[in-house]
Amino acid sequence: MAETTNESFRQMSPAEFFYRNKEIAGFTSASRAMYQAVREFFENSLDATEVHGILPRVTVQISREDPNNPDFFTITVEDNGIGIPSTVIPDAFGRVLFSSKYKLRQTRGMYGLGAKMAILYGQQNTGKPFEIFSSTPSSKKVYYYKLMIRMDKNEPLVLEEGEWPKSSGWHGTIVKLTLEGEWSKRTKDYISVYLKRTAIIAPYADIIFISPSIEGEGKEPEITLYRRVTTKLPAPPKETKPHPIGVDLEMLKMMIAERPSANMKDFLMRSFQRVGEKKAEEILEKAKIDPRRRASTLTEKELESLYKAIKDTKFIAPSSESLSPIGEDLIKIGLKEVLQAEFVDAVTRKPKSYGGHPFIVEAGIAYGGKLLENLDEIAKDSLKGQQGPYVALLRYANKIPLLFDEKADVIWSIANSEEFSWKTTYKLEQTDVVAVLVHVASTKVPYKGVGKESIAPVEELRKEIEAAVQEVARRLRVYLTKKRKKQEAQEKLRLFMKYIPEIAQNLAYFVTDGKELREASKSLERELLEMAKRKVRAQLEQPEELTHIVPVALPVAEQEGSIEDPSTSEEEEE
Amino acid sequence: MSGNVIQDKADQRAREESMKAIREIFLKLVEQIKNKEEPSLVIKKRTLSNTIYDPKRKLLLLGNQKLVRKLFDESEARTFMQTVLMARIIYEALKNNEYPTIRDLFYRGKHTLPYTSPRDRFKNTWEEQKESDAVLRDVEVLTNKLREEMLILSKEKGKVVGDMRLRSGNDIIDLSKMGHGAYAIESTPDLIEFVDYSADYVLVVEKDAVFQQLHRYGYWRKNKVILVTSAGQPDRATRRFVRRLNEELKLPVYILADSDPYGFYIYSVFKIGSITLSYESERLATPKARFLGVTMSDVFGDDVPLNEIYITPEESRIGNPEKLRREKKERFLKALKDLGYKGKLSKEPFMTSEERKNFIIRAKEQDLERAVELVGDKVYKAFAGEQLKTTRSGKKSVKKSPGYQWFQEPKWIKEIGIFFLTHSKLEIEAMASKGLKFLAEEYLPKKIETKDYLD
Repeated sequence: MAETTNESFRQMSPAEFFYRNKEIAGFTSASRAMYQAVREFFENSLDATEVHGILPRVTVQISREDPNNPDFFTITVEDNGIGIPSTVIPDAFGRVLFSSKYKLRQTRGMYGLGAKMAILYGQQNTGKPFEIFSSTPSSKKVYYYKLMIRMDKNEPLVLEEGEWPKSSGWHGTIVKLTLEGEWSKRTKDYISVYLKRTAIIAPYADIIFISPSIEGEGKEPEITLYRRVTTKLPAPPKETKPHPIGVDLEMLKMMIAERPSANMKDFLMRSFQRVGEKKAEEILEKAKIDPRRRASTLTEKELESLYKAIKDTKFIAPSSESLSPIGEDLIKIGLKEVLQAEFVDAVTRKPKSYGGHPFIVEAGIAYGGKLLENLDEIAKDSLKGQQGPYVALLRYANKIPLLFDEKADVIWSIANSEEFSWKTTYKLEQTDVVAVLVHVASTKVPYKGVGKESIAPVEELRKEIEAAVQEVARRLRVYLTKKRKKQEAQEKLRLFMKYIPEIAQNLAYFVTDGKELREASKSLERELLEMAKRKVRAQLEQPEELTHIVPVALPVAEQEGSIEDPSTSEEEEE
Repeated sequence: MSGNVIQDKADQRAREESMKAIREIFLKLVEQIKNKEEPSLVIKKRTLSNTIYDPKRKLLLLGNQKLVRKLFDESEARTFMQTVLMARIIYEALKNNEYPTIRDLFYRGKHTLPYTSPRDRFKNTWEEQKESDAVLRDVEVLTNKLREEMLILSKEKGKVVGDMRLRSGNDIIDLSKMGHGAYAIESTPDLIEFVDYSADYVLVVEKDAVFQQLHRYGYWRKNKVILVTSAGQPDRATRRFVRRLNEELKLPVYILADSDPYGFYIYSVFKIGSITLSYESERLATPKARFLGVTMSDVFGDDVPLNEIYITPEESRIGNPEKLRREKKERFLKALKDLGYKGKLSKEPFMTSEERKNFIIRAKEQDLERAVELVGDKVYKAFAGEQLKTTRSGKKSVKKSPGYQWFQEPKWIKEIGIFFLTHSKLEIEAMASKGLKFLAEEYLPKKIETKDYLD
């Protein structure tokens, strides 16, 4: 968005532009605004920690600070991240910038943009400034700023600043933002669900959420805590150059603007991944542009033919180094910890690409145990509208939970139980509940709308999601089949055990002719029990494939007596 | 039973042989277990599909299909346990010189099992006597010993009188000195020893009342007959007793039963055996038994008067009754010819049209069904024609039935054809009502004299 609309920025203060388009950023209602503000700061906190190898500890607090304005809420987000150098703090938060670097890597948000939106939204309605404390690991001081954004000039207005020497090794950032909002069940659900779903994919984080009680004034605040259960961090994404296929004409122009003096061959080789000397020459030949031409001298027409030439050229698929999947282990840990499920599993698919954008699909599955009671409110609402087997979908794009527009998402269209054969192929019961987590990591997630809450059905992506869900569903089936088989075997054993003592006793009578029954009976009983256990064990060891072809109904033994002649039954009545 | 009963030899021998048979079979199970083999019993199937009619010997026999009853098979574990339990109870009773009834066997074995599985709904070793009876039959088949040989008693039902002495236990019983009563055929007829007798044939009367009448009338004395009644469906002891009279004493056996499909079936049980008990036919059936009466032709003669041909109320409403009756008669004659009846149709009835009016009973739907079961649906269709595909109620269509081979002989086809034609039946009592004298002096002697019977 920022890339394609830069023309507009020049006519209007970027701050003003963004504020006028606040709906795009998610600030559509009091409730959504609070949720959105928490998200922006929280995601910044995660980006400031895990990407830099720090195990995150993030505290989010929402409180009413102004007794005269009960609708004013102060959001405080504290992290233990890398902090922000004091000199850039005012600009980082007080100036809406457009990025000058076109390096790509998968991060949760476009850095800073959303946070500035939240600050603008807050100050506009409350007139209250934004406060920030920050310290970098190497800094010996903690810096403090109280500032506002001057919307007309797109400039920070520093109201107060200060600094303290650090007595401890603390580093990180604390931001405080006051905005006019609403504290309802809905607001609380949005934020709680968001944090809970984040906790699932970030089990290496301590997440603390302190919020006002919904009941009203004077009540103790509620504290929710997601404890860190692993110290394993996902590998941070690497910055990569754009892949030629993913670039549009506007972006091409901006990239040229960055290297105006390079000759065209160098420009192509240095600005793009997967472009070597040969490829660069091939492109330029197609575009009929001299490789020695300086990039800045290209005419509009030449640019267009260059763009066309790029599109007509075949490249190796984009590198996935820029992607940061969560990883199978972390998904499993998170699902197990947060949902307390009986069975969890996860799969991270190999990188694929669509239209020059690399992506990785991951899926997780959780079944049984305390799953149902630990599901979040939004998932529970979704279950209410289903027929069963019930599918609680946990969608993520670049590690951000997607809470809204579930039915519009390609993930839903694949995994919902009318479409996906949970019952027939994957052997779930009608009443079963299964949680399915799907994470799409990409340098460019193909969102369906401006709300960025659902993913579009891009074919390459659809295929991968389907394969991922199938894979985890298959693993669940293996587990369930084993479990059911075990139950059946136990059931069988119990049945045999019911009859064995009786059989042993009666057979013993023939052995001893009615004398000293006990001994003979016990020994037969032992033998039979051993045999029963062996039998049941042997059945358990059959491979899964075999059990699939066993007909569901047990063959019914020929019913004796049923054909008995009614006219002769008299004989037996004594 | 008093303590110092002297066991007679026959009894003792039967006991020992049965015990040996049971012990052999079930010690094999113990052997299997000791050899770490899963215990299993191989039993001949007692099912309709495994019941075979042997036309040469004229017997219903058990075929060679076998079932393997395994302990370690969920669906059979219970019956397996029951079979072992039943065998032990019988064995113990034999050992202790007891004579349990099948009801006793049920109670001796019935007790609560430990609760181990919520899926098994059974609490007891067996819940109903039906279950214990079924495994008793399995033990009989397994050991090739009849329950009588295993000295299991049942209610005595059959009775016998006649000029005959027999030994039962340690007593000699004179069957000619029973007064107005009769000797009850004991549950273990194989332990009976025939001492001496003076008789030309055996007459088995289905109905107890008719038996009593003939007895008091002195029929057996006058005609040198051993008179037996099964009092309805024959029990095993009566069948075995009759068989021994025929086989060992070479006495011809005549059966006197109602003139209806049930009466015919009772004859069939005496002669051929029943499906449930086909495994014992070899010992119980009397293949040479003859059906003396009452036949349909005894009642109507071969030439059924037109006005006694049955038409349904619906038929009489639709068409001309006279015409319909003529058509039915024609169809009857044609069917007889088609089905291979070659004899003359000249037999005169023992009853007048007037008497028939008084004594005949209308056949019920179930009589019709049973008749179809005996001769098969094809024969039925040949007689009844297309318009009678359904039974009189118009609801149920006639069940498919292959019929019994021995009822598909022309003589029987004629009898049952007359039944289809007249929808009538006659009880033996009706013959007696015509006059006991008529039954004893006219009907029976004449039938035997003229060899007017079916076999």
